[in-house]
Amino acid sequence: MDRAILLLSVMCLGVSTQPNTDNQRLFSIAVSRVQHLHLLSQRIFSEFESSLQMEEQRQLNKIFLQDFCNSDYIISPIDKHETQRSSVLNLLSISYRLVESWESASHSLSGGSAPRNQILPRLSDLKTGILLLIRANQDPSEIITDNSNFQFVPYENNYQNLDDDESLRKTYELLACFKKDMHKVETYLTVAKCRLSPEANCTL
Amino acid sequence: MDQTCGADRTASSSLRSHISGNLNRGRALRWRLGSPEPSPPSSGSTGRGQNESHFQGMRAKLRQRLCGAMMKKVGGVLLWLLLLFIQLAEGKRHAPPGKPTLTSCRSPEKETFTCWWEPGSDGGLPTTHALYYRKENSETVYECPDYKTAGENSCFFSKNDTSIWVNYNITVVATNVLGRTFSDPVDIDVVYIVMPNPPEEVRVSVTQNTDWPFLRVSWEPPKKADTRSGWITLIYEVRIQLENEDEWEVHPAGQQKVFNIFSPRSGGTYQVQVRCKPDHGFWSEWSPSTYVKVPEYFPREKSMWILIVVFSAFIFFIFSWLIYMNIYSLKHCLLPPVPGPKIKGFDKQLKNGKCEDIFSSLVVSDFPPITSNYEDFLVEYLEVYVPEERELIMEDSKELQDSLKSENSTCDNDSGRGSCDSHTLLIDKGGCDKEDGLQSDQEGSQPEMDSKRHEEAPEEELLEYSHGNVHSPDISSEKVKSWPSLFSPLPQYSLSPVNQPSPPEMGKQHCLSDSLFAPDTLSSYFTQPGPSTKTDFTSNYWECNFNHKQSHPLHPQTAAHEHLQAQNDTIMACVEHIGAPLGVHVPNVRPTEYVEVQRVSDENMVLLHPVSSGQENSCTMRRQTEDYSRVKTLNNDKGLLLLQRESMEEEMDMCPNEEEVVSRGTSNGYTASITPTSQKSAAGINTSLPILDERAASGYVDTTTMFGLPTY
Repeated sequence: MDRAILLLSVMCLGVSTQPNTDNQRLFSIAVSRVQHLHLLSQRIFSEFESSLQMEEQRQLNKIFLQDFCNSDYIISPIDKHETQRSSVLNLLSISYRLVESWESASHSLSGGSAPRNQILPRLSDLKTGILLLIRANQDPSEIITDNSNFQFVPYENNYQNLDDDESLRKTYELLACFKKDMHKVETYLTVAKCRLSPEANCTL
Repeated sequence: MDQTCGADRTASSSLRSHISGNLNRGRALRWRLGSPEPSPPSSGSTGRGQNESHFQGMRAKLRQRLCGAMMKKVGGVLLWLLLLFIQLAEGKRHAPPGKPTLTSCRSPEKETFTCWWEPGSDGGLPTTHALYYRKENSETVYECPDYKTAGENSCFFSKNDTSIWVNYNITVVATNVLGRTFSDPVDIDVVYIVMPNPPEEVRVSVTQNTDWPFLRVSWEPPKKADTRSGWITLIYEVRIQLENEDEWEVHPAGQQKVFNIFSPRSGGTYQVQVRCKPDHGFWSEWSPSTYVKVPEYFPREKSMWILIVVFSAFIFFIFSWLIYMNIYSLKHCLLPPVPGPKIKGFDKQLKNGKCEDIFSSLVVSDFPPITSNYEDFLVEYLEVYVPEERELIMEDSKELQDSLKSENSTCDNDSGRGSCDSHTLLIDKGGCDKEDGLQSDQEGSQPEMDSKRHEEAPEEELLEYSHGNVHSPDISSEKVKSWPSLFSPLPQYSLSPVNQPSPPEMGKQHCLSDSLFAPDTLSSYFTQPGPSTKTDFTSNYWECNFNHKQSHPLHPQTAAHEHLQAQNDTIMACVEHIGAPLGVHVPNVRPTEYVEVQRVSDENMVLLHPVSSGQENSCTMRRQTEDYSRVKTLNNDKGLLLLQRESMEEEMDMCPNEEEVVSRGTSNGYTASITPTSQKSAAGINTSLPILDERAASGYVDTTTMFGLPTY
């Protein structure tokens, strides 16, 4: 009898850890993907910036502050404290929404150089991965309450029918926003992964 | 006037001194200026001079007044300038402050950040600096919350004031009494300005208790950086330097906190440093150095090297000794001796005159390439003859072979009997018609010939046997020469069932010799006077065998028959012999005469007579070639089974007949079975005469060729 209980407990442990292992694996994959996306965005942005003149750069710097990113409607933690406070699911959902918004806007990103053309497929992959993570980590009870977070705001295309100067500015903004958002997602996913990792010391 | 203004100048300089407070001097100066200049009045007119002098005096006074006024003005200006100058030299400048510059902003842990600036000139007045910032999407301007924490000319943003992923627009303002100056604004995002503190607690240790120790470096992340929650991810880098060296050895360490360095120098001292970097940020400073000393674990290799050297020397000595012992075999192996151009044993024998062995050794299975029976025939042939004959035969065969090789070799001791003789014989044949006398002569001479076979000059014999043709030798020679290429009518040797061993021998000899090189000779031997042919000597073989008269086959046959018979063997032998050995070079040899089978003797001998030259048609020619045919079997010394292109043999006058005969002979080209079939052929012997074709001059009478020949 004792042995049976012992066996059962061991099995339960194994079973319980199993999804955790899968979870970690999924997280690892998602984190690596978003890291790659972030590096990609950095590269594109720096390429764009180097192609600009000095004066244009200054102007753009000034202008940029007066506009805001397209994804600003998504409320996300902006410091560590807030991030620590958010739940894993919240972080995942925010990440998902960010990725989704950019997925719809990718057509204005892509085109031209090869790195730009890689953005959309990678975004799709990432979105799929995050969705899997959400499903793996969400409680059935939470599904309903979080619906609001998944409201999809249609992408506002502010970048059409603009003259050259405007388009240059808009492109700059777009790339900068993309870079920032990718870093956000990377941070959220990393934090969420660390939080769920069995080891207390998440240095990976 | 000039004088006056010039005096003014001096007056200005003096004006200064006057300004300093000496009016008298000025007055004196003025006086001096006003003093009339001594003008040299012209002496002469006194009365007039009085008026002039008065006028001049008035003018001088006027001038003086003007200069004085000017001087005053200049003095005033100078005075004023002087005052101003002094004031400027002594007093301080007060201006608005210069433009400050933001040098850098850094965040050590992505939670707080600090900005530093560099003030410009302060304009001589107390200047204050203030930092204002504005967050993106907001117009509110905030001032730096903390100027103190980070030191002078810095602004520290605490956690509460720091927002990630938010653009800050920061400006520094310098203010003083006279004004304020703004620096250039700077935009920063905290995420991208992270520069952590260097790693802490760097420890280096040498692994103990191992033969090959290594260094283990361990460290801790900077305290402020929160890696535990994954908020910041750091990657590290280790660098190590041997003491007294200039180069650092850098090792990227990834995210781990431990690093091993293998194969340190034995007995060396190392200096280790570590630094870190966030995933999107700047490298930190190098941590303070940590020193470690590596014990001497690597043994002094001197003894080892000595061992190695000794061992290798030992090996080398052994190796060289082995080579020395086997130097000759090695040499033989590497540089094998080139064999001389001679045939072992054979040369000796040739020189010694013992040809038999040599020839026997030379007789190889595929030589000549006629038929298999050929060899058999040869063997039998050899066997039949008595030792002498055998020798002769063998010699002949050998000679033939030799002759094959050297067609024109004649009259060698080695070449033996038939060489020269055959020449003559052939010649005779060619020259003379078939005559009985000849035959008889031949016959008679045959024995002689036989006896002489070996050594005697072939010419002589030929002479005898030949038609007494003086030219025999010549002819023979001719024939001899032409032997290989002869296609003349067969040297008709009438085959007569000669039981005499000698004739056969002779024949053989002749044949042999002929076959080799002088078919003529042989033919001449046996040529019954009849057959003239001779010019066409087919293969030697043929001649040997079938030299016989063309004309009068019968008659000569009869006459020659006996002889022939006696000679048959020889002839046959010759034939075959010739055929056999000659087979080699037979192809081009044409029988000088065509041989017909004159008759078939009772003894089953086929009397072959040479076909007349006129009949040299294909058949005969062929026949002649068939001369080469060899005697297949020797029946009781009586019948030589000529392996011949049958042409000769039999009966026929017609080639085809011969063919038949040949076929009967069951030999390819040779009707060895002449004898048995001779009877039949006897009739046709006369006409038969397989005339060896030129074609048949190949030496072998092939049935095939035979068949193609027209019969005549």
